[in-house]
Amino acid sequence: MPRLSLRTHWQRWWMARLPLTDQLLLTQRNVYILPTGAGWMLALTLLVLLVASINFQLNLGYLLTFLLAGSAAVSMHLCHGTLRGLQLHLSPPEPQFLGAPTTLQIQLHNTRASTRHAVALAIHGSGQWAWADVPAQGSASVQIAFAATRRGLQRIPVLTAQTLYPLGTFRVWALWRPQAQVLVYPRPEPGAPALPPGQPRDGSAGAASTRAEGEFDGVRAYRQGDTLRQIVWKKAAKAWAAGSGELVSRDGQQAQRHELWLDGAATGMHDIEARIARLAAWVLQADRLGLDYGLRLPGLHIAQGSGAGQRHRCLEALALY
Amino acid sequence: MSAFTSRLARLPREARDTLFLLAVIACCIGPLTAHIPAWASALTAVLLLGRAVLAWKSRPLPRRWVSGSLLALSVGLTLASYRTIIGPDAGITLVVMLLALKTLELRARRDAMVVFFLGFFTLLANFLFSQSLATATAMLVALLGLLTALVNANLPVGRPPLAQAMRTATTMALLGTPIMLALFMLFPRIAPLWGVPGDQLAGRSGLSGQMSIGSMAKLVLDDSVALRVRFDNPTPPPQSALYFRGPVLTAFNGREWYSLAQPEAREITWAAPAPADLQVQSPPLGYEVTLEASHRPWLLTIDAALDPPELPQGMRARMAPELQWLTYRPITSVLRYHAQSHLQFSHGPQHPGAWMRPYVQLPPGSNPRTQALARQMQADPALTSGGPPAMVQAALERLRSGGYSYTLEPGVYSNDTADDFWFERKEGFCEHIASAFAVLMRALGIPARIVTGYQGGQLNPVDGYWTVRQSDAHAWVEVWLAGRGWVRVDPTGAIAPDRIGMFERLQAPRGVFGNTMATVISPTLLQHLRAVWEAADNRWTQWVLNYTQDRQLDLLKALGIQQPNWQDLVRLLGLLVFSVAALGAAWALWQRRSHDPWQRLLERVRHKLARAGLVLPAHLPPRTMAERASQYFGASAEPLAQWLLRLEQARYAAQPQPAPGALRRKLRGLQWPARKAP
Repeated sequence: MPRLSLRTHWQRWWMARLPLTDQLLLTQRNVYILPTGAGWMLALTLLVLLVASINFQLNLGYLLTFLLAGSAAVSMHLCHGTLRGLQLHLSPPEPQFLGAPTTLQIQLHNTRASTRHAVALAIHGSGQWAWADVPAQGSASVQIAFAATRRGLQRIPVLTAQTLYPLGTFRVWALWRPQAQVLVYPRPEPGAPALPPGQPRDGSAGAASTRAEGEFDGVRAYRQGDTLRQIVWKKAAKAWAAGSGELVSRDGQQAQRHELWLDGAATGMHDIEARIARLAAWVLQADRLGLDYGLRLPGLHIAQGSGAGQRHRCLEALALY
Repeated sequence: MSAFTSRLARLPREARDTLFLLAVIACCIGPLTAHIPAWASALTAVLLLGRAVLAWKSRPLPRRWVSGSLLALSVGLTLASYRTIIGPDAGITLVVMLLALKTLELRARRDAMVVFFLGFFTLLANFLFSQSLATATAMLVALLGLLTALVNANLPVGRPPLAQAMRTATTMALLGTPIMLALFMLFPRIAPLWGVPGDQLAGRSGLSGQMSIGSMAKLVLDDSVALRVRFDNPTPPPQSALYFRGPVLTAFNGREWYSLAQPEAREITWAAPAPADLQVQSPPLGYEVTLEASHRPWLLTIDAALDPPELPQGMRARMAPELQWLTYRPITSVLRYHAQSHLQFSHGPQHPGAWMRPYVQLPPGSNPRTQALARQMQADPALTSGGPPAMVQAALERLRSGGYSYTLEPGVYSNDTADDFWFERKEGFCEHIASAFAVLMRALGIPARIVTGYQGGQLNPVDGYWTVRQSDAHAWVEVWLAGRGWVRVDPTGAIAPDRIGMFERLQAPRGVFGNTMATVISPTLLQHLRAVWEAADNRWTQWVLNYTQDRQLDLLKALGIQQPNWQDLVRLLGLLVFSVAALGAAWALWQRRSHDPWQRLLERVRHKLARAGLVLPAHLPPRTMAERASQYFGASAEPLAQWLLRLEQARYAAQPQPAPGALRRKLRGLQWPARKAP
């Protein structure tokens, strides 16, 4: 194991102590406050003003210095109060593709009778702040961009909530470790080839078709049970215009005889990640075409199906593979 | 106009903020323009206006080399004006220029902070020149403006109205006022840390150690307050008795009178002043003087003060042989002291001697006609029989009936000033009269010297203080008579008794504004308004500007500490800070607990169960807690389970009790399950 610096050890230990939670109430216990650089500059200014007042014996100079010092002390309290009592709630994140920009939706709830100004949220260490004003007795919503690094279930990194509100002299911040995990689908291969041919269904390999093979359309009369997608609507429109009211549907026998299996071996790649990428691209293609498909990988078998649910199942399986 | 306001409302946020900040900076720098060189004021105005135009039209900022070269130009001009860049005056000019130049560079947040902090320095710089109530109010407004701009800079979302930031800034200032008052009252006042060349900051006005004929007339135009007096006795002495003693002038070179302490007096005479030898006859009259900063070491007291005035800590006074009380350092800030004077007194040597020489010395060949008049008077047998007192009376009689008048503009005098007064013009200001009288006395062989100071004053009916202004400056004569010592003779009183006796002063001719004001508002109302303002200003000076360490120690004495010193102040401050911190900690602890009594009871039960070995999460209802406890401890947890169920019943009943009093009592006597390791 590589030698980690003391700072990294400290960071890890500190982050590990944070409770995993999707909902956080900021109280005195988990809110920190320290002066910023501008705060130190203000302290230096106050010192210089005080020295000047002493040296020139200016009572009004004393008043000015002490009024500024009093305002700074009050601003410290105001700054702390901006975060104290705020409720943070992370909406369950949607599954996203690796490489596509992800946003996390966070709600801020304010039960106080005064507005909380200039609350900023960001991923700890990123420096990309999203600002919000949370109205009195209301809530505000903030979106944080988050880039996933690999596929699979990924824990959301530690988030920071921060404010500098009244004078910018104090920085009040809180650390938050959300419990939710983002499901990151694998990145589909950009230029994937066409879908593999269908494989004959088990048990129907020998059955000859009674229909002529010259029919390219492969249409037949409507049978009860055909899905809406199988109906050829152009022909149906023409038929209705003619007044016959008959429907024709595509010949599913061709397809019923063959099944589309997205197989890891059929991808023709050797690297498992490349295989997964190609399979993901194929899943998207098949879903776009509305076909029935199944997924096969060593240790993974998903039955035929179609629709959004099937897509999600396949992509999830690929992500977690 | 409405097009302008609508354009203003539609300005992008950055432009609006920049314009507001520029307006606030103009407020901070405005009063300083009277004290910095003209080029600096002009350059600052141009820079601020230019920046405002850039913001209005949303043009880009000039490149770095522009502001860099302007900065170099400013430093160069400052060096040329003051020969240095260190020191208060040059420093203030530089700070003002830096502030104006920095507005050209408002690119990042860091630049904005620099502007704010430079603004705070200019606020303080204003106080170096004036600490009056008006300045304080103006700087308070400017400070609130700066705080508003700072708060506004930290509101990054949207386009919040400026009124919102103003409200926050005012709230912060109001809440910070108790801290300000506590620190102001208890922070120990330390002596200046290093030497201050105080002369450079404010021009000297008022009396000086020399008098040239015509210099006092300039003082009449100065209406500023020289000192304020409050008498211990509610019935004050008559105004004609209020002679405040300033420098005594002895050496005369024909045109100017010098005090013997002045270096110029060395050219005329090398003598030392005559010893004072003060004897007092009347009971003491106590009074308190608040002396404005005169940058001189003179303590103005009413003739004559036998004991040194009571000065604040660290200051000592000594009496000069001419009865004048002096401090060891120039008075650079408002000084308050208590003194006791005796209106009937005698001082000076009793017998003639060599000490008389500087007091009868006249420049040879000057004022021949006055010398001739003196010889004439000496030849008069009636006067000779009476001696010097008769001659003094004769001179005064000449003034009374000789057609002499008291005026502010006597015109330019020639080199023989006494001759001009006695024979040619026959009119003059107090300095002409006193000088001519002294010359005549010296020509007669009677030792005479001129005393300058202030005479009279005006009672402020609002607060009962006597205000003595620079325009009350006066010069009178002291002649030495054998057996009586130095005797005050005020020749102006012979010519214009009103000047001394009543509240009349020569009014300086009013300007156009003054005349217009006088016609629109009645003079009495004006005077009353002015009296009220002066009373407020006086109160301000007494309570705020003059809050010295003596006052702080008085406060400690009032709180019951005997023999207070500055360490006690620091301790009291520390105690205050500590108690506030303790209060804050107590509040924080109180905030952490839940306030619902039922929840608190359940918390106690959870805590005790945890000690017994069963850790339950916080969100479990009493019923589940009872089940888990029975599960864990078995039969020994039965009473506890029953109690929990009863608690649940009581809490969620149709009419719940407000507080679980009875249940709490039962909990104390409850049988607790034995500790079982998890």
